[in-house]
Amino acid sequence: MAKNTRKILFFVGLVLLGLVLPLLVRSSYWRHVLILAYFYGLLACSWSFLEGYGGQFSFGHIALATVGGYTSGLLGKYFGFSPPVSMLVGILGAGVIGFIIGVLCLRFRGAYLALFTIAFSEIVRVVITAESNITMGRMGLELSPLFAQSNKIPYYYNMFLFLVFGFAIMYLVVHSRYGLYLRSIREDQDAAEAMGVDITKYKVLAFTLTSMICGLAGVFYGHYLGILTPSFTSISTMGLVIAMAIIGGVESLVAAALGGILLEFGLEFLREVGTWRLVLFGGLLVFVVRFARNGLIAPVYHKMIGE
Amino acid sequence: MYTADYFLMQGMSGLVLGSLYALMALGLTLIFSVLKVINFAHGEFYVIGGYISYFLLSLVAGIPPIFGVLASMVGLFFLGALVEGTLLRPIHLGQVDRPDEYAILITFGLSFLFQNLLLSVCGPFPKTPPSFLQGGWRIGVMMISYDRIIAAGIAIGIMTLMMWLVRSTWSGQALRAVSQNKDAASIVGINPLRMNTLAFAIGSALAGGSGALVAPVFSMAPDAGVVPSIRSFIIVVLGGMGSIKGAIIGGLIIGLIETLGTAVIPDPSRALAYKRVYGLIIFALVLLVRPQGLFGEEE
Repeated sequence: MAKNTRKILFFVGLVLLGLVLPLLVRSSYWRHVLILAYFYGLLACSWSFLEGYGGQFSFGHIALATVGGYTSGLLGKYFGFSPPVSMLVGILGAGVIGFIIGVLCLRFRGAYLALFTIAFSEIVRVVITAESNITMGRMGLELSPLFAQSNKIPYYYNMFLFLVFGFAIMYLVVHSRYGLYLRSIREDQDAAEAMGVDITKYKVLAFTLTSMICGLAGVFYGHYLGILTPSFTSISTMGLVIAMAIIGGVESLVAAALGGILLEFGLEFLREVGTWRLVLFGGLLVFVVRFARNGLIAPVYHKMIGE
Repeated sequence: MYTADYFLMQGMSGLVLGSLYALMALGLTLIFSVLKVINFAHGEFYVIGGYISYFLLSLVAGIPPIFGVLASMVGLFFLGALVEGTLLRPIHLGQVDRPDEYAILITFGLSFLFQNLLLSVCGPFPKTPPSFLQGGWRIGVMMISYDRIIAAGIAIGIMTLMMWLVRSTWSGQALRAVSQNKDAASIVGINPLRMNTLAFAIGSALAGGSGALVAPVFSMAPDAGVVPSIRSFIIVVLGGMGSIKGAIIGGLIIGLIETLGTAVIPDPSRALAYKRVYGLIIFALVLLVRPQGLFGEEE
């Protein structure tokens, strides 16, 4: 079979599986796990888009998702926006913040984006906690539900749609001319610049797109759970997203997304061992970075599609 | 309320904190100057230092608290050497693709691993080793605890020793040579690999030492390294990446800004939160106005 045919079959298979899965998984609890798995899958996928293709490090994914979620929630609470509108503004808000951070940090080489976003995510948490008369602080900000029925099914398909949609956008970008620009920046900034690639522009655009994907994940997360608290915005959650992308395979969008989904399931299956599962993931992360830079899922995926 | 005494006291308090911040940032900048690696696990080294001090002082009754600081510095020196030798050395042997990305990923991975390991082994609750000396220095109703003053004094002592070491000893000059030009240094007979290990070990020991010094005041918990490490990043960017002078002066500046900045916000819980926001603002200003930092060289 030709490579492209196998690839298409693989993706069609995954989407079909995603569509029928809630019919097979009957327990509300495991449906909830699936929804969270897709949420993390989308974040891990967008992290791999930025790092695995653009070579840029962000520790701000969770913070940008938080910005999206809180923007949507606050607009609903104080201005009576309906969820679809406030969610859209939340996504744009995350994009604007991402754009500003990108313009500030990405003009330079070196790890400025990584350093700045790690400080930024701490500040997001601190400000949300401190401004408790607006954001409700640690009590948590309540968000209106998206669907009338409390059933998980509509939320499942909504998150699945967002995952497929976000993935499709990043996939198209990666396989377009802009994707080549991005990769050229990662491989060799000097050469890319000499060939006429406006490296700052494409780095900023890539980070802005990533931020909007984070916002997309964040607004869903907020309205799905119905409550957002600042404790979600920790470096530890961010570490988990990075571990997911790296263990999956950072140079492949689909492997990173699958890494997010499978690790979230891993977290559930290993619930009994408490925080030791995070030690396991941390050890695995260090191991993969040192000895298996392509990740653990990406090689399997490439074998399946015959690359 | 805003009397001269008040500002004197806040200024003193800022310098005391600043010298502790500077000690930790000095470790980070030393590592960067020699290895060209930002250690994202620096905060966890700081926490491990605090825990070593805590466990030593609570297991061995009656031992003077200063031994906690010494033990944590020695412990972190060897941990740093081990980490460098096993995980960072491949960079300098040309064994990894995209060394810059590898360095961030491996040190961040370690940070995630250590943080959760500490959480699993030591539990989430803060631990506080015994204080150096009870009481404090008072003017009116304001007080700076002796613990802080002693910690700052020791920090200044360690930094002075470091300056001397880097300036006047053979190893120090070799470290500087490698940081300026690795190839030229190896031509004159310096082994850059050994200097990498030495720099990373000393840098880690400085993080561990500052953790042990601060532990009696702020307590140690598995995630207690996050805020100090972010602060160190900001100090190093402000002072100039790899600049020793920059780390020390940057540390004092951040200490002063945090303390005086807290003093002007009346609501105490907000004040405590927003002093961290100042750090981010300074970071942004540095990137806008002087991206190479105060004492950094332009690219």
